[in-house]
Amino acid sequence: MICAGIDAGSRTIKIVLVDAARLEVLAAGVTDQGVEQDALATRLFHRLLDGNGLRRQDISRIVATGYGRNIVGIADTTITEITCHACGVRHVMPEAATIVDIGGQDSKLIRVSRDGRVRDFAMNDRCAAGTGRFLEVVAHRLGVPLGSLGDLAAASRRPAAISSMCVVFAETEIVGLLASGTAPADIVAGVQMSLAERVVAMAGREVAEPVVFTGGVAMVPGMAAALGRALGRAVTVAPDPQMTGALGAAILAARAEAKQRGDAEIPS
Amino acid sequence: MTDAPARVSIAEWRSRRRQLLAAGLREPPYGGPLDRHVDDGDRRLARLLFDNSAASLRLWNFVLTEEDRLHAARAAGCRIVGAMKDLGTVPVMVFSLENVVAFYPDGAWWIPCLMEQSAGLLSVADRLGLNESFCPVRAMPGAFVTGEHFPRPDLLTCSVGATCDDFSAIAQRLEGLGYPILWWEMPHRRRPDPDEKPVALPGGLFAPAGQVAFVSGELGRVRKAIEDLAGRRLDDAALAAGIRRANRVRRLLAGLRELGFTTAVCPLPALEMLLAEMLAIHFCSDRAECIRVLEELLAEVRTRVRCGAGVLPREAVRVFWVNPVADLRVMNLLEDCGGRLCGTDFMFCHALDAIPEDVPPMEALARAAIADPMVGPSADRAERICADVRHFGAEAVVVSRIPGASHCATEGDVIARIVREKLGIPVVEIEVPPISDAIRPGLQTRLEALVETVREQRR
Repeated sequence: MICAGIDAGSRTIKIVLVDAARLEVLAAGVTDQGVEQDALATRLFHRLLDGNGLRRQDISRIVATGYGRNIVGIADTTITEITCHACGVRHVMPEAATIVDIGGQDSKLIRVSRDGRVRDFAMNDRCAAGTGRFLEVVAHRLGVPLGSLGDLAAASRRPAAISSMCVVFAETEIVGLLASGTAPADIVAGVQMSLAERVVAMAGREVAEPVVFTGGVAMVPGMAAALGRALGRAVTVAPDPQMTGALGAAILAARAEAKQRGDAEIPS
Repeated sequence: MTDAPARVSIAEWRSRRRQLLAAGLREPPYGGPLDRHVDDGDRRLARLLFDNSAASLRLWNFVLTEEDRLHAARAAGCRIVGAMKDLGTVPVMVFSLENVVAFYPDGAWWIPCLMEQSAGLLSVADRLGLNESFCPVRAMPGAFVTGEHFPRPDLLTCSVGATCDDFSAIAQRLEGLGYPILWWEMPHRRRPDPDEKPVALPGGLFAPAGQVAFVSGELGRVRKAIEDLAGRRLDDAALAAGIRRANRVRRLLAGLRELGFTTAVCPLPALEMLLAEMLAIHFCSDRAECIRVLEELLAEVRTRVRCGAGVLPREAVRVFWVNPVADLRVMNLLEDCGGRLCGTDFMFCHALDAIPEDVPPMEALARAAIADPMVGPSADRAERICADVRHFGAEAVVVSRIPGASHCATEGDVIARIVREKLGIPVVEIEVPPISDAIRPGLQTRLEALVETVREQRR
């Protein structure tokens, strides 16, 4: 039995196919998000099937998650990204107590119990200052690729203080810093710290360890360190952090399918 | 109960009402089809789901015709009192006298929510220097300026002090526009020191006797102003009778809440529960009719509970809701996401508690007023929420904020922390602006995730 998880995020669409019996990832793919969200997800799905010699009827169940989950037409059902990230992290790092997920459009802090269930969560999607969008804005403003921000930040000697809580105002602040001769490396490091501090503000006082970092922003070098400094705790980046939500969705699809068939329960 | 309980659209209500009329429904003078209110400008109604009972139709029509009622009262020679920043005390005094009615001008914050800003009240507020950094109550001065919603009150009262700084600023701006206000002071409620005499308040709270006496004195000034307006004395016997009638409203609401929140079936949707609770504040300008509306609603709920007929699936997740929402659709959304309202604190819990009847009436009103959750420490409010969550058996808490409403912004964290610590149940904070269309996906994610979390914990 093969099940699929589709994470339709604000920046990218991620799909994972799992072998439900062994909970093994058979295939995974990513594509940029766009206007035709449903068509993009369907195209990626079929590309994964074709690339792995599979047909549509080989896929028993599809769960969609993420910001665009409700417009993925091929999905059998939808589950929120909070539940899916928790499930995905549970699979790859079962010891996690806190999950920080920073995506392109929102950030989340998920508290999980020892058995991997979500205890509680907090979410920020109102201000882009706590999301990956902040990094995109600064990369654009500095004229550097998003992927090179981490290396740039690593060269920082004295991270700039970014005081604005709003990306629009922060961009103005960055223009001012550039005009005053602040090194781009220090600006990027300052932005990373600012982003991490927004997450800390959302987290409140209770942040149990181990802390696991997921989402596309976790792939940006330097972000985990910035988050760790802001939280005052060690932060571990999940393996393939961008795919965690899709992986969780695929596992939840497998569980639901097994339950419907009356098969043995798939462990969390 | 005339049919299976369900949530229906305003279009469906048109045919539903025809059926009910054919079956013998008799409507009050303010009755009629719900969609006429959309024609009057309440556009938001067209996008809501409503309870399908005749009792709920009456409730909606009662609430949505308040402006007509106030204009009719003015035409009939009644004196009108605008009781600002007072959630349930001054109106009790006002309705103890004949030919005087009270209303709640602050309620104008809902006009842009219902009319989707077509009334232009927020634009007026912008021009008055009250921009979006203020609480949505800034719509109120706009309603005074345009004069298109309620008649100009003969007397305006407003509590000030430990209430809401945003509101005080807005009310002061209103006074500056030429609307004189009788200000009465509300101290910050504190727990009695060991050497102070404690006085029990509704809701299980305590305050020093000195604070209660002070508030009683302040309310005495308001009482005098109402007497001057009415041209006759308000004696203690009439006031005590007024308190008993107010308590009738509160007992009906208590019954509604008990059945609505604790029974296995959900007998009334969240939206109608919110609307019903709001009647406690000032009886929607007609206390006698308010009682009749609530009696019919409670009877409907009792019948539904007896028949085991609910509006939502039995497995709906039981959610306690803190603070009112600026966009009514969010109450529908909770249910669309698999939740069910099981307990509320819409910031006027003290108006739901019975006013003491065993002490002199002015002291009773002072005790009720000082029990206002907004004038005490946030921790007191959180403790009460915890007690109510336990009582109603809620499985999760939603703390809803309104952008610009400063008293909400600081309280949310305190409430969430105390609920988590004491009850260990999930809490989610959301922010709901008057028009929430653009952030609906985010709100939906939070509410769905809350429901998923509880369902997972039930396993």
